[in-house]
This record gives sequence, structure tokens and C-alpha cells, in this order.
Amino acid sequence: MYELKTLLPQFDIKLPTCMYPLKNVSLAADSLASSSSSSASASTSSCKLEASRSSKTSRNAATCALDLDSLGRQIQQLLKDDTASVAARQEKVLRQLEELKEQLGQIRKGLGVCGKTFQHTTAFQNGGLKEVPLQDVVINGHPNFIPYALLALKNAWRDLYTIEVKTFTHSTMADIGPAAREFEANLAKVTVNPALPKINVTLIWKNCEHTEMISSPTMYVPIYGEVNIIRYLGRVGPAEYRYEGSPLCNEIDLVLDICYQLLRCSTHKTQVAMVRLLDKRLQQQQYFGGSQMSVADIGVYSSLIRMPAITDKDLTPALLAWRKRAKLVAQI
Amino acid sequence: MVEDKENVENGEQVSKKGAKKLAKAAKKAEQKAETASAVAANNAAGDSAEDHASGRYGLSEMIQSKDKRSERNFVPVSELSGQVGKGLVWVRGRVHTSRAKGKQCFLILRQQSSTVQCILAVGDVISKQMVKFAGNIPKESIVDIQAKAVAVSSKIESCTEQSLELAVEQIFVISQAKAQLPLQIEDASRPETADDAEGLNIRVNQDTRLDNRVLDLRTPANQAIFRLEAGVCRLFRDILTEQGFTEIHTPKIISAASEGGANVFTVSYFKDSAYLAQSPQLYKQMAIAADFDKVYTVGAVFRAEDSNTHRHLTEFVGLDLEMAFKYHYHEVLHTIGNTFTAIFKGLRDKYAREIESVGQQYKVDAFKFLEPPLILQFADGVAMLREAGVETGDEEDLSTPNEKLLGRLVKAKYDTDFYILDKFPLAIRPFYTMPDPNNPIYSNSYDMFMRGEEILSGAQRIHDPEYLMERAKHHGIDTSKIAAYIESFRYGCPPHAGGGIGMERVVMLYLGLDNIRKTSMFPRDPKRLTP
Repeated sequence: MYELKTLLPQFDIKLPTCMYPLKNVSLAADSLASSSSSSASASTSSCKLEASRSSKTSRNAATCALDLDSLGRQIQQLLKDDTASVAARQEKVLRQLEELKEQLGQIRKGLGVCGKTFQHTTAFQNGGLKEVPLQDVVINGHPNFIPYALLALKNAWRDLYTIEVKTFTHSTMADIGPAAREFEANLAKVTVNPALPKINVTLIWKNCEHTEMISSPTMYVPIYGEVNIIRYLGRVGPAEYRYEGSPLCNEIDLVLDICYQLLRCSTHKTQVAMVRLLDKRLQQQQYFGGSQMSVADIGVYSSLIRMPAITDKDLTPALLAWRKRAKLVAQI
Repeated sequence: MVEDKENVENGEQVSKKGAKKLAKAAKKAEQKAETASAVAANNAAGDSAEDHASGRYGLSEMIQSKDKRSERNFVPVSELSGQVGKGLVWVRGRVHTSRAKGKQCFLILRQQSSTVQCILAVGDVISKQMVKFAGNIPKESIVDIQAKAVAVSSKIESCTEQSLELAVEQIFVISQAKAQLPLQIEDASRPETADDAEGLNIRVNQDTRLDNRVLDLRTPANQAIFRLEAGVCRLFRDILTEQGFTEIHTPKIISAASEGGANVFTVSYFKDSAYLAQSPQLYKQMAIAADFDKVYTVGAVFRAEDSNTHRHLTEFVGLDLEMAFKYHYHEVLHTIGNTFTAIFKGLRDKYAREIESVGQQYKVDAFKFLEPPLILQFADGVAMLREAGVETGDEEDLSTPNEKLLGRLVKAKYDTDFYILDKFPLAIRPFYTMPDPNNPIYSNSYDMFMRGEEILSGAQRIHDPEYLMERAKHHGIDTSKIAAYIESFRYGCPPHAGGGIGMERVVMLYLGLDNIRKTSMFPRDPKRLTP
């Protein structure tokens, strides 16, 4: 055998100031502390390690694997020496953070971004979701079952949110009829405020059984039923109409479910039964679920228009009064 | 007979044994003669007097316009249902199939896409010989038939006229077909159902069809395809004429290549050579500069591209239009888009029968479209592709797979087979395309798609000669070669835009067929110059 030469020369490694030595917590270090504490504390950590190694040979045999006494001593030592230094370090870190914050504040001011502190971001408001531009949605509707809710929402949200509706006629429909044409004209009449956030809706008159909504072609899962489309729009629409966080959430959902059933009723008798249920939910309130207009009112209002069989005679005085109030907002 | 006589004469001379033998032989001969005469009678016995139907059938002499025969009242097969129980009518058609069995003959008569069953049964009017004759007429021969239309109790599934049959009284062959046909019409018109394992799987391949196009074109599907194709042309003309367009005819022999110049056919032109026009673009634009305001043209277009694909031909019919506008090229875009919608609506409403009979052979979904047509921005299209996980650049042209994918995405979302993509990147368009005023990346150009395949490519053209020079230089084009083109804008030219479509491609995609050769009557491709 022959001796190997060290490839690297001895370097005097200069440690960066952002680092600090870690105390050697092993038992060997403890033995070192007891034997030559004065020399060890003076030297740097790297020296300490070497020193400990040198003394290890002599003392190793004496220290047993788990010596409770020495462990206790060790902990005492650590607490006595280090708490102060740790506290100082923490102080320093906090101070640096404070400086950083100040710097960032200055940068923000220089850029002219809003001066408010970062307490309420929009991301927080809509449940921490990332704000991505909204997908255009396609709504397929049969001209015999006109989704009046779209117009009602468009009118109700006039000053809050823009629903931009483009209408098309699918090749499966030869003629859409006067009611649908009038609906189209009414949609076009609503003034558009370009400053407001908006969603693009493509309304296609099609020979389809249900009113359905498609938001993304890659995840082709249509949302069926006008009521569920109202729920979707209520979720992406203005904060005033988002009902999921409100205590009335269950009530609104219940009313919307009744609308869903109402639209599926084929006989006049069952329709009237549903209207009675609605009356029960409304009682003497201003609107469904309280004093504020909500998507539930939109749903009921639109459903009643779609049911020409339900005349004023079938409605209770409370519902008639409500209808008058809702008409002011929905304007249909 | 003669032998018999001899036997009788020599009868007394022969022995008993011999007599027995002779008697046996005589009996045999007698039987033989009996059957022979029976056969002879059966075999029409020539055209002897026994055939009581002679004169009611046979090969007609070649029609050389000798008689007018205006007393013969011919009725189209499709209108026979109005003649039931009304006496004798004349029908001219082709023998689709003919089958004689015993005393009857069933013959299916075809007239374009309509078929009707004819029956000949031996009786007072029809002789055995006539039935035999009818059974032997080769398929595809043209015959004149005089018959009575008779209602039938059960539907005849194999014919288009299902509620009646013709009781034939006279039948004459006008033009006889060869007994051996290169392809059977029945095979050529068999529905293409890939997953039908039980049914007959005999197909006629594309080349056999094209080599014998005359026979192939007789199938109901082909009859319908070319009637529909004529409909596309007619609708294109009618709709544009109604909107104030003028039809123009542009030269097909030109001196210089109009676009690019790589893929033009050269033809000898006296002592010089010339090219076949690959687009009427230049002449359309010149017509605009000459104050025709709105023009269209229908005519042959030649492309010397050696591409053997399902959608390329070297010669096709181009339907091109060009239109001057006031301030925004969307005036033109909407005109073209609405023209398409009107064509689709016209086909849907007026050609339902043709579409159905093509559908019987080639199973495809009906063409779907929106009114007004769906217009998407190129950037929207790219966004849709990216959402589907396709990496594509903002200024990158749509590759064929991406084009098809985008077609599928649009179909899934909007349920339309026709859409317009607007604002293509400037970098991928020809030099004469007007750039977008708001964004230098894009241009005022558009493509239209049917079933995910591009059918029209158009744009606002630059009508300012100086700017056109600048753009040409930017594209590294030798401006001396296009001097005439630029020159035509020097005497004032209104802003204009336009586009062109290939008629065959539009018909192919409208019907959802898989090959453009199916919609070209006599297709020309790099490998085919005949028939």
C-alpha cells in the first residue's frame, strides 16, 4: 500500500455572515465541554469538531451510550449559554423583516399601485380562487322554453355586472317564433356599461329537450335546467347575488328546486300545487328568503313567465304583490 | 319419324324376338319425339305463329328520328303513383335487374334514382316467349315499356315506388348494354356500414369506380351528389345576384403566375408559353377597380400541386367573390358568412331528398350550422386549443391536426359544423393582406371552416399602391414581376375584400364524404387524366 496525497490544499474557509455555527449536541461534544471548555468556546465550530475528535479517543470508553447525568448537564449548558444568543438572533431577523416590508412599501408607492395594505385581496373574497378570465358559456335553449332568467338577470345586474348575450339559431330550428324574436330584441335593448366585469353568453336556439349550458368543450359536462344555470351565473356574478356564503343559502336553494319542479309539471293541478308551495316559502316577506332580491326571485319570476297556464287567479295576493316588486327589477 | 316408317314397313320380315326389340325401340323413339316436340314448343319454336305475343316485344330498330310516335304518353317513374288504375302508360327506363322464373318475369326498371317493379306473367297478352325474352335483357339496357300501374297489397321494399307495380303489356329494347359489366350498380350503391359483419361485403373500389365513371354515376347516391352540387352553384349564383353582385368571367390562360408561382401548369401558347390560372383573384380585384362594386365568378381553377390527398384536385371549380366596402371589412365578412348560411339553408330545405339518398349509402351526421354564423377570433381559437392541451404559438398557422381539433372543440361547444375564424396573424398571410390597425401581429383576414376543414381563405386586400409596394418588399417579392397588379390600383380603387371556395370541397364537407373525388364528376388529380 502507499500513501495518498490530499488533493485539496488546506483552505482557510471564510464563512458567510448569514450563517452561524450549530452547537454540537452529541455526547462527544459534552465530553469535550467538560475537559476543555475554555479552549473550545474560543475556537470556531470547525476547530471544535477537530478538537473533539482528538479527545474522543481518551474519553470514549468512559461515556456510556445513555448517561442521564451527562444528558441533563448538557441540556442545562445549552439553556444557559444559548437562549440569550437565540433571542438576539430572533430580534435581528424580525428587524430585517421589518426593513424588507418598508422597502416593498416604497417600491409599491413608486409604481403607483394601490396604497392599501395587503389585507383584503379579491382572491380572498371569492374563496381564494385564482382569478382567471371567465370562459364564454354557451346556453342551448328551445324557443318554446325561453330562458327568461337571462334577461331578468341582465336587467337586475344592470349596474353591477354585464351579461353579454349573443344569439344564434341552430340549423335544427327552422323558425324560432315571435316570442323568441321579441326576447332577442329585449336582450339587445339593455344598455351595456363597458367598465363593469362581464361574462359572454352565447345563446343558441336549438331543437333540444332541456335548456342546457356548456362552459368548456374539453370537459363536456352540460349543466341542465334553467334553474341550475341561474345557480352558475349567481356564483360567477356580482358579490351581491352570491348566496352560498349567506345564511339564506338553504332557503334560496329550496326555492330554486321548487322552480325546477314547477317547470317540469305537465298538468295545471300540479302546477298550482307548486305555486302554493312557493307561497308558503314567501309568506309575508318582501322577497324569497328575506328583504333582498336574490337569484331565487329571478328563478321564480322567470318560471312563472314560462308557465302561461298559471294566471293571476292561481297566485295568492302575497305572490301578486311580490311579482309587482320583482317586475321593477327584472323588467320583463 | 322416318325410321319409324321403315320399321313398320319391314315389320313382317323380322323374327318375334326382333319384333319385340323393334317395338321397344319404336316406343323409345316415340317418347323421344314427344319430348323433342315439347321442347321445341317451349323454345319459342322460333317466332312462329304459335307465339301470340309477337309484335309486343323485341329489339327496337335504332332510333333515327323516323317517326314522332307522339301518341305514346310517357310517364316518369316517380309520378307513376298518380297513374294507378288509369290504363296503359309508357315508361322508358333502364333494366336494373331482370329475373325470369317459369311463367313469370320480375324486372326492376330504374329511372335515375327511382325504381319500380315490373311483372310479366304468361297469359292472354303475354306469351312464354315474351317472358323468356324479358328475362334475358342484359342489365342496364334501356327499354320502353307499356304497362298498367297496379296497386300492391304489401310494400315492395326493394324499390323506391313501393306501393305499385307495372303489369307489362309491351316491352322493346331501345339500347342494349353489354352482357358483362365492369361493375355492378348494386355493388356500387351498397351502403357503407363498416360494422355490418353479416351483410354482403362486396365493394367497388374508388379506382374501378372512376375508370367506369359512367356506370358509377348511375347509383342513387351519385345522382344525388351531383344534383346537390348543381344546387350549391345555383344557390351561390341566386343569393349573390339577389344582393347586387355581378357575375364575371375571368381568363384561364394567363401570362404570369398570380399567386406565388410555384404550382402553376405551363401550357404552350403559339411560340411562347403561358400558365393556367390558379385563382381569379387578380381579375376579381381589377373588376372592383373597374367599378363593378360586387362581383363573383364560377369557373375552373388549376393547381399543379403534386399532393395525393383526400381533399386536393389539380382542377376544380372555384366559386369566388370580391366586394368593395365602405369602412370595415366585416361588411364583407358578414356578407360571405350569410351567403354560406343561406346556401346551407337552401340545401337543407330544397335538397332534403338528395341529402337523404346520399345518407343511405354513406352514413354521416346532418350538417349543422348557426344563424348568424359563428365568428371567433383567431386568438380565441388558439386559447381553446391551449385549454385542450395543445402547444401552439400566437403567430403560428393552424396545422392540419390542430385545425381538425379546433373544429371538434367548436362543435362540442357550439354544436356547429361551420364557423369563421377572424384576424389571422399577419406573418402567415400573403403580402397583399391588410394588417390590423390595432395590433401589428394580426391582419384583417379570415378563414372559414366546414367540419373542421378550411374551405375559404380571404382578407381585406391592400388597395393603396404605395403601401402594397412596401408590403411586397417586406415579403421579399420582386416588385417588377407584380408591376401590373400594383399598377391597377394607381387609378383609384375602393377598399375591398373577398374570398373563394372550392365547390367540390364544399359539397364533400357538407355531405360529410371522405374523398373529394366523390364530388367531382370527372376528377383530375396528379395520377388521373382519364376519363
